[in-house]
Amino acid sequence: TDCQKNQYFNKKAFVSYLIHGCYCSLIIFFIPWASMNDAVRNDGKDIVSHPSFAFLLQTCLLIVVHTQLSLDTYYWTAVNHFFVWLSTIGYFAISVTMYSNGMFYVFPSSFPLFGAARNTLNQPNVWLTIFLTFLLCILPVVAFRFIFIQLRPTINDKTFLSSIRRSTRSGYAFSHSQGYGDLVTSRKFLIKRPLKMTALFTQTDSSIFQNQPQHYRTIVVTVPDCIFSGFKQDRTSTSCESSLCSWGFQ
Amino acid sequence: MMASSYSAKDEDGHITVSGPGGGTLRNKKPENTAFKQQRLPAWQPILTAGTVLPAFFIIGLIFIPIGIGLYVTSNNIKEFEIDYTGDDTSSPCYNCAKNFSWNNTKSCTCTIPFQLDQPYESNVFMYYGLSNFYQNHRRYVKSRDDSQLNGNIDSLKKPSKECEPYASIDNKPIAPCGAIANSMFNDTLTLFYNDPNGTSVPIPLTSTGIAWWTDKHVKFRNPVGTNSNLTAVFQGTVKPVNWHRPVYELDTDPENNGFINEDFIVWMRTAALPTFRKLYRIIQKKNTMAPTLPRGNYTLVVDYNYPVRSFEGRKRMILSTISWMGGKNPFLGIAYITVGSVCFFLGVVLLVIHHKYGNRNNSANISN
Repeated sequence: TDCQKNQYFNKKAFVSYLIHGCYCSLIIFFIPWASMNDAVRNDGKDIVSHPSFAFLLQTCLLIVVHTQLSLDTYYWTAVNHFFVWLSTIGYFAISVTMYSNGMFYVFPSSFPLFGAARNTLNQPNVWLTIFLTFLLCILPVVAFRFIFIQLRPTINDKTFLSSIRRSTRSGYAFSHSQGYGDLVTSRKFLIKRPLKMTALFTQTDSSIFQNQPQHYRTIVVTVPDCIFSGFKQDRTSTSCESSLCSWGFQ
Repeated sequence: MMASSYSAKDEDGHITVSGPGGGTLRNKKPENTAFKQQRLPAWQPILTAGTVLPAFFIIGLIFIPIGIGLYVTSNNIKEFEIDYTGDDTSSPCYNCAKNFSWNNTKSCTCTIPFQLDQPYESNVFMYYGLSNFYQNHRRYVKSRDDSQLNGNIDSLKKPSKECEPYASIDNKPIAPCGAIANSMFNDTLTLFYNDPNGTSVPIPLTSTGIAWWTDKHVKFRNPVGTNSNLTAVFQGTVKPVNWHRPVYELDTDPENNGFINEDFIVWMRTAALPTFRKLYRIIQKKNTMAPTLPRGNYTLVVDYNYPVRSFEGRKRMILSTISWMGGKNPFLGIAYITVGSVCFFLGVVLLVIHHKYGNRNNSANISN
């Protein structure tokens, strides 16, 4: 429904993405710049060399991007975990390898920035700078999202908020809401129950159903809360409608 | 809908359909595994008040002490800076700066007196700083040959094309080649302490241990020849245009001569910003309880060789002590205190918002 209402790709959304991008870029450059201006290592040697500074900026950027990605992922399956953690750890592993002795011996002209990772990452003020940059980029996003959830919750937010119990199914095929496969194949909804709300669809005779389990003429479902006994009782009517229609039932 | 009949579902979900033609069609349904049916167990992070608000408060409470600690540490670091560019007539180095020419065989010396108000304990680090010197210019940064600096004999005789136009003079290769090496800082700075009874005591300056260990021992190596004499190894090469001495005469100590000279290595590590400082010498702490640099009058004697007036640069000498977070840098401390306070304040604001508006959304009526 958010896509149907064009909420994700209009001018207002574009401007907000633009502002967010500009803000993060400025933070990622200027905080390390201000922190490294006239800085030295804790044994007195230089730290503001060109490759070290670039490596610091890279690291800040990667960490901010990964965290933003994590915030935007609604369902964390094993696949998500694997790729995000692989990416983060892989970045550090590859950087350290790239800046290591071994690669330099083999290809001295291709890996001239040797030593930058090792000599940068063992400085506490480098890690403090990274942490500060990361928080300055992520905290506004979290704050804004929280405020919007409180003030103007979307349908998805409402369903999320009332289902505090962790979901065990990732129905990401259905606009980030849980699918109805269970419901339809369990035949629970075919049992006649006293209705509390107006039924969306009428119920057909059950004799046809018993002969041909997969063949229906009309949709045999009503959407009151009590039907969803094996389910969470918080499906909104509109999301139910869109999901069931997408199954192809008439 | 089709009028064909369906048989009961198989165990694995495949349905065989018999159509009017009599043949069987294999259904293309994907396998009934958790991965392919999108039934993987998932965790769903939700931004509730219970997670966000404590997070903000905790971050605020952690950052403020860290910021205070950083600020106090930075304030305890002692630093002293002298600008000796000599662009002002009142400056002692004005004559040296004004009369600079590339053909000078005799170097110009200027003397700058200064005073330290506080004693400096533990190791004191002496830096030279340059301003408006863009060591991060792209063409400049590429103008070096790392194979040559690593001791590769072939690269010594034939420097890479990146070094052009500082690669060879009259068909003789330059060692070390490139614009970075050519513009090496060659001022000599010495310090004297003026005793209360009038004598001028030279302060011992250590010139080793100033470059990164990885640079000194791995990245920069002298070329190895049949003769261990460096002069012989560098036979057939010429010194860079702007240097006064060739590379094998940079220091009398053989461990600090040639490409592994630490001043050279420190210079070759290009700085990222146009105003930078590089470590020049270390004043080791004394074995006694006396401070390394006691309070009093000092003299800085400069061998003025490095021209900066043509690009309106500035030169300075910095004396500084060091702590666990490096040199004097109040920015991090102030930033942490600011961010911690803002975070705490934002947490309070979010708490108010949640209290006022959040509760009305938790009612049972969520259908719209």
